[in-house]
Amino acid sequence: MLARIAQELFWLGRDLARAEHTARMLDGVFHADVAGDPRDQGIALGWEGVLAIIGAKAQAPGKERARSGEDGDRAAAVGAAARRGSGPLERTEVARLLTLDPDSPASVVSCVARARERGRTLRDVISTEMWEALNTFHLSLAGRDLTAVLASGPYSAYQEVKERCALFWGLVDRTMLRDESRSFLEAGGRIEAADMVLRMLRVAVPPEPETGGHQGGALALLHAVGGFQAYRRAVRTAPTVGPVARFLLYDGAYPGSVASSVEALHTALSTADAQPRSSPPVLRLGRLIADLELQRRAPYAAGALDQTLEHVQEELERVDLDIDDRYFAVALAAAVHL
Amino acid sequence: MDELTASPPVAGYEVPEGCCDELLENDGTPRPHAAPLMATLSRLGPEALAAAGHRRDTIFMQQGITFEVAGTDGERRDRAWPLDLVPRVLPAGEWTGIKRGLAQRIRALNAFVDDVYHAHEIVRAGIVPWSLIVSRPSFARPVHGVRPPGGVYCHVSGCDLVRGGDGRWRVLEDNVRTPSGISYVLENRVAMTRLVPELFAGHRVRAVDHYPSLLLDALQAVAPAGDGEPTVVVWTPGSLNSAYFEHAFLARQMGVELVESSDLVVRDAVCFMRTTAGLQRVHTIYRRLDDDFIDPLEFRPDSLLGVPGLVRAYRAGTVAIANAIGTGVADDKAVYHYVPEMIRFYLSEEPILDNVPTYLLTDESVCRHVLGRLDEVVVKPTSESGGKGVFIGPQASASERLRQAELIEQAPERYIAQELVHLSTVPTETEEGRLVPRHVDLRPFAVFGDEIRIVPGGLTRVALREGSMIVNSSQGGGSKDTWVLDDGTTSDVAPGTLPAHRPPRLPDIRYGGWHGQAQQQQQTRAARSR
Repeated sequence: MLARIAQELFWLGRDLARAEHTARMLDGVFHADVAGDPRDQGIALGWEGVLAIIGAKAQAPGKERARSGEDGDRAAAVGAAARRGSGPLERTEVARLLTLDPDSPASVVSCVARARERGRTLRDVISTEMWEALNTFHLSLAGRDLTAVLASGPYSAYQEVKERCALFWGLVDRTMLRDESRSFLEAGGRIEAADMVLRMLRVAVPPEPETGGHQGGALALLHAVGGFQAYRRAVRTAPTVGPVARFLLYDGAYPGSVASSVEALHTALSTADAQPRSSPPVLRLGRLIADLELQRRAPYAAGALDQTLEHVQEELERVDLDIDDRYFAVALAAAVHL
Repeated sequence: MDELTASPPVAGYEVPEGCCDELLENDGTPRPHAAPLMATLSRLGPEALAAAGHRRDTIFMQQGITFEVAGTDGERRDRAWPLDLVPRVLPAGEWTGIKRGLAQRIRALNAFVDDVYHAHEIVRAGIVPWSLIVSRPSFARPVHGVRPPGGVYCHVSGCDLVRGGDGRWRVLEDNVRTPSGISYVLENRVAMTRLVPELFAGHRVRAVDHYPSLLLDALQAVAPAGDGEPTVVVWTPGSLNSAYFEHAFLARQMGVELVESSDLVVRDAVCFMRTTAGLQRVHTIYRRLDDDFIDPLEFRPDSLLGVPGLVRAYRAGTVAIANAIGTGVADDKAVYHYVPEMIRFYLSEEPILDNVPTYLLTDESVCRHVLGRLDEVVVKPTSESGGKGVFIGPQASASERLRQAELIEQAPERYIAQELVHLSTVPTETEEGRLVPRHVDLRPFAVFGDEIRIVPGGLTRVALREGSMIVNSSQGGGSKDTWVLDDGTTSDVAPGTLPAHRPPRLPDIRYGGWHGQAQQQQQTRAARSR
């Protein structure tokens, strides 16, 4: 298939997965912020953590000017928030920035708008029902007074994002031919899901996740991924940071875990690739899966979780570059001359 | 403050005679601990509140958070759970007192149950008559001499508290059988954060969502010793039970199986559940049905809900049952009268929370005295629950009073009389979003495993009809989210102060494909031109 089409499908999957995870994360953090135990100091998954996850760092006062020229889109994403000054970032600001700001590329509406644009160019490849689901999604978000929704309680808006994404992936399952295109779409959704969960874990898990302690942070993390009930059924220990992080990283039975996503990404790429045995991303993913399995079985060691998280994310970044090289490089060369 | 009181929601708010309002002073100014809440309510105005009310009903119906009410025609139908959007706010200091009082009371009740089925010390000391204990319908002869692990009988309890005109808290009723309502406490909080997150601004409210963990810990702690992790199940009478929502909620939140009686089987005095992989041992059963029904071999032989042989397994100590069999003897309305004495007898402490003054009608002179004051007191049947058969003297007509007097004279042992408590009020929204005073009670939930733990707040039930003091949801009552404020000094849970750690530097988010790149380039250009 055309490299350009494959790349668009891949990124369509990524944009939708990103929109869904951002919505879930904001919903979880919002709930924890309002209802959480005020004595749960040091929950890392707060509003500053959210900014760190989507690529923004909580900046020390005075530093933001020096940084803003340095890294293009990231600065654009944070710029608005960071420039406002040194005070702690308020939930209204962050929620607005990441939900409905059309100028911030990381916001949910931007992700959906991009996904819809991609869908429009891919109408010959994806099924009509999928296109309609995307288009309705976009129109419905655009038609709502999101500022008012956000002010009175964003729950319904996030709920809609989750439902529409589920509808789209459901239609993929029911109506799309299981061919190469489907594999690239799937691969994009999976790599983004793994990346988002890893980002949340890296921000939320302290270097030394204690075994006891309060559960507020871990509960917020589970809600931000949407895995509370799955955790409760799969793991019988109380939800504290350590076990929750291990569950979200390693548990292959939970579809949202990093291990599940990596596994599915591997399957999708091996199906799409004509020669999977000599394909760098497929080989690298195979190694990563084995690594994860090994780490899962390894006895607990202090600081190991932190290192594993960093390692997995680095590997995934390399997989991402490998994918670009192997499948999309031809198209990338064309894009530079735009 | 003038501006606040003049604002629409609280205009014309009048605290009923003889009652105290928990959020407003008698002159209509907010009490200090509720000031930010009342200010937000004024700012929002009645329309926003009414709109949130409509959203609430839709969300509750969609999520299936409903309960059954019998209509006037006897037909049962589902109604959205009636949550009032104005929370009840309790300052930290007040909550500490309630918590201590409850823990004390539950320890005494637990000791009483142990005593009833073992040494009878309180009977020998002449405090509670043995004839009264054995005549209680909930007295369970089959478990005489059985002591569950840790000596804990009342694993889960919910006492009903009320606040009189003097502002003091009193215990109205104990409930150590299968108190229900905790699921609504948790769902109420979730709904409040979704519907009216603005209200939380300016308050630090203590979380309630750790209850399922507390309960699971307690149920695991009382399991009989064995290898590996104990298996805990929630036992429901079935999906037709009015509290099935709560049974499923607890099982889901704890991640344990929700079993019906057909799933359980006793072999050789050991309890198992039937699974796809054959019989699996069960260590702790959190049961949500009454003693009478749990084992047809020992209790009611006509019970189809029971598991034959369960009491045998329980006696053999191979399975823990929560709450223990026979605890009902401690929350009988006639035994209630003796609880303050129990606290002095077992714990050598003075009760922190008082009883509502109560009269046992079996004593002839007391009975005559009560009959003479029927227009002032409340009369309750000892064996009913859910507000059924409650007679409220001041609100009864002459003929009703006459009928009640006859009933008492026929069987004085079946009734108790209590002084009327003028329940406190809390502002409550009407359909149009106006605030009016409505009477409330409070049911905090305690869990007793290794130690007694109480979730901050509890279920606040509110009588939605003007002047009514009957708060049961089956009788047109509603509920409120209950906020216990945090003043930063209470520390019954070790505060999870993790060392603040700076998030690690993460790789940049990527944007790719044709559209992503176009966007990226635009932004880079824009950034340069800045």
